[in-house]
Amino acid sequence: MGQRSYNWSEIARNPKYLELKRRKRVFLFGWWIAASIYYFSLPFLSGYFPALFKIKLIGVINFGYLFILSQFLVAIFVAVYYTIVANRDFDQLTAELVDEIQ
Amino acid sequence: MFTNILALQDRISALTKLYSDGKTQKITSNLLTALMLTLFLTTVGFTAEPSKSAQQANVAAAPAAPAQKLATTVTAPAPAASSPAPVSGLPTKVRPNRAITISMFLTIIGITLCVVIWAARSTKSAADFYTAGGGITGLQNGWAIAGDYMSAASFLGMSGLISLYGIDGFMYAVGPMFSFIAILLVIAEPCRNAGKYTLGDILSFRTSPKPVRAVAAISTVTVSLFYLIAQMVGAGKLMQVLLDIPYRVSVIGVGVLMVGYVVFGGMKATTWVQIIKAGLLMSGTVVLALLVMIKSGMNPIVFFADIVANPLIQDHVRINVLKDALPTPGFDYGQRFMEPGLFLKNPLDQVSLGIAWALGAAGLPHILMRFFTVPSAKEARKSIVIALFINSTFFFLINIIGFGAALYLSPQLISSVDKGGNMATLLLAQLLGGGAGSLGGDMFLAFICAVAFATILAVVSGLVLAASAAIAHDVYVNIVMDGKADQQTQVKVARITSLFVGLAAILMGLAAEKENVVALVALAFAVAASGNFPAVMLSLFWKRFNTAGVISALLVGTTSALALVLISPVMTYPQKIADDARKIVVTLEKKQAEGVILAEKDLKVLDKSRKDYAKNNGGTSMVGLKAPIFPLKNPGLVSVPLGLLAAILGTLLFRDKRAEDMFDEIEVRQITGLGISKASEH
Repeated sequence: MGQRSYNWSEIARNPKYLELKRRKRVFLFGWWIAASIYYFSLPFLSGYFPALFKIKLIGVINFGYLFILSQFLVAIFVAVYYTIVANRDFDQLTAELVDEIQ
Repeated sequence: MFTNILALQDRISALTKLYSDGKTQKITSNLLTALMLTLFLTTVGFTAEPSKSAQQANVAAAPAAPAQKLATTVTAPAPAASSPAPVSGLPTKVRPNRAITISMFLTIIGITLCVVIWAARSTKSAADFYTAGGGITGLQNGWAIAGDYMSAASFLGMSGLISLYGIDGFMYAVGPMFSFIAILLVIAEPCRNAGKYTLGDILSFRTSPKPVRAVAAISTVTVSLFYLIAQMVGAGKLMQVLLDIPYRVSVIGVGVLMVGYVVFGGMKATTWVQIIKAGLLMSGTVVLALLVMIKSGMNPIVFFADIVANPLIQDHVRINVLKDALPTPGFDYGQRFMEPGLFLKNPLDQVSLGIAWALGAAGLPHILMRFFTVPSAKEARKSIVIALFINSTFFFLINIIGFGAALYLSPQLISSVDKGGNMATLLLAQLLGGGAGSLGGDMFLAFICAVAFATILAVVSGLVLAASAAIAHDVYVNIVMDGKADQQTQVKVARITSLFVGLAAILMGLAAEKENVVALVALAFAVAASGNFPAVMLSLFWKRFNTAGVISALLVGTTSALALVLISPVMTYPQKIADDARKIVVTLEKKQAEGVILAEKDLKVLDKSRKDYAKNNGGTSMVGLKAPIFPLKNPGLVSVPLGLLAAILGTLLFRDKRAEDMFDEIEVRQITGLGISKASEH
């Protein structure tokens, strides 16, 4: 491939790298877990608390229907929010780090 | 039409000859020409010979459609699909206009073949073949991922599920929509940064390459073939029902086309076929949903109020789903349609399926491969966000289409055409286009049929490419040849492999005509979630993870998923069919004994049930069981923890210093993108 070689373990100790790694981990795993909890609450609540899903909120439209719709909105929100944070913070930090190394 | 295609075929062969002087290449293209010839000869032949039996379509192609088994309980005394009960003079079979539909199919084939010719021109290196040279943009890749992921099962099956079971069908759509969250947050970018062409590339990064690549290749081929066969069988049955094209002809036809796309055009052609398909699918879905909303006066509150107040839906819920012979006083059966529990009954089953969706999609090799087609992690991120947008819009619109179908067609009509509801979208298109027989109805129905056809083509092409990449790149180039193969050989081998994977898929698709393919898709997702997903995650994020860990994750994940599906309720249990048939026989005979003269329809049912009973009584499932041992339809709840546990145990039992030392490298690479494999460099 003709690529230059890096000293990986040296980069791995770079404070900027450690900062990037920490922030990425907290953000990505944090949101992944949060979104998953919201997602799994759907089968859980509908299976064990069906009465909740039957509460009518707008006309005949009940909590269950709106809760399902909210799953779509939450997924889109996570995607958009992550894009904003990644474009603003992570990409910036990565670029600074790569500049420093090269 | 025939000569046109021959001419096209000649041009393709000429083109491939231009780019290769190897003998094998010639053989490949000759074989393909022969196959295409057979296909179109048979196509010409079938027009004169309508298929003998058009059974109900079983568009089984997502872990979605377990409708099949449940469906028998839906239509009251289970009439044979060939003699559906007529409902208020409406048609009981979808009858697309053959001329219009087939010309739309041919238009799609024509356009995609042009794409293939164009893509073949620039497919010279291995990187071109597997990843389109990394030259796909985030936007294009987003559409292609959506095109790779949305199957005919979602398009036809899920709206059908909603039209028969209301809100439960909509709840079902959340899983496939949500799968992109794990991909977006923890899989896509790290994989793009650390990988090259295949799953094996990522897993073998800091482990012993040969055994790991071999196991990764086996897993990839297994998952892709399971999924592929399910799609082929679904395609064959769909075409049979819609156009009376014999099952064999459609399976071979779809197979030949997908082989053509992949062998000649590689990833570039596959990507564009997927983009075109996603565009067609989304326009069809948007128009259909819009027509539903216009018909309901653009007011969702009124729309749902109409559904709840609809007497046919109320009857359907009461008689077919809840089996209340007499209405319970004060019970609102219409509102019940908007409440969960009509289809999804076991909460644990739902959680298990939810796991398969949330993690399985992230472990599907054909989806994984798509991240390598973009030049950077940033573009990979963008493509997943776009795919997530398209996907969630799609599943949201499917909900409108499904409820619209229930309201404007009635669940009775939909289940009389197909017990699982798979024809709901098509019937609705015909109705909203102007009704059966009208030009608008014919055109719109033909268009939606063509969309389903394009959908199948796009999904199967991606699968063939992923399976052949695993064989050609992991097994041949890296295990057999020790990575020492020049670009020309690599492409040649990849093309030959694709041809054979395609042929294998066609043969297995033909053999599986009568099989219960629902289990296959559940299996593909379960294997991906329980084996591939933990292996990829731990490779990227766990320092100690090593060869033993990868191998035990893949082996235990795959075998436990396989074993659990084999003893689960998704398999066919003849004894259960026999028991159900006996119940019908007893009920009907009791009626006869009471002096009731049975209608002709009931007599047929009685006759069929007697035969079913005689045929299936005492029979056992594929693994010799009379009834399922494992209670869940999807094994995820058990097999994912097992795969993960095996990965951890294997890793801890066989420590590997080298793998730990190399962790810094893979971690820095995946986080920063330094040293990224620029697919275009060669």
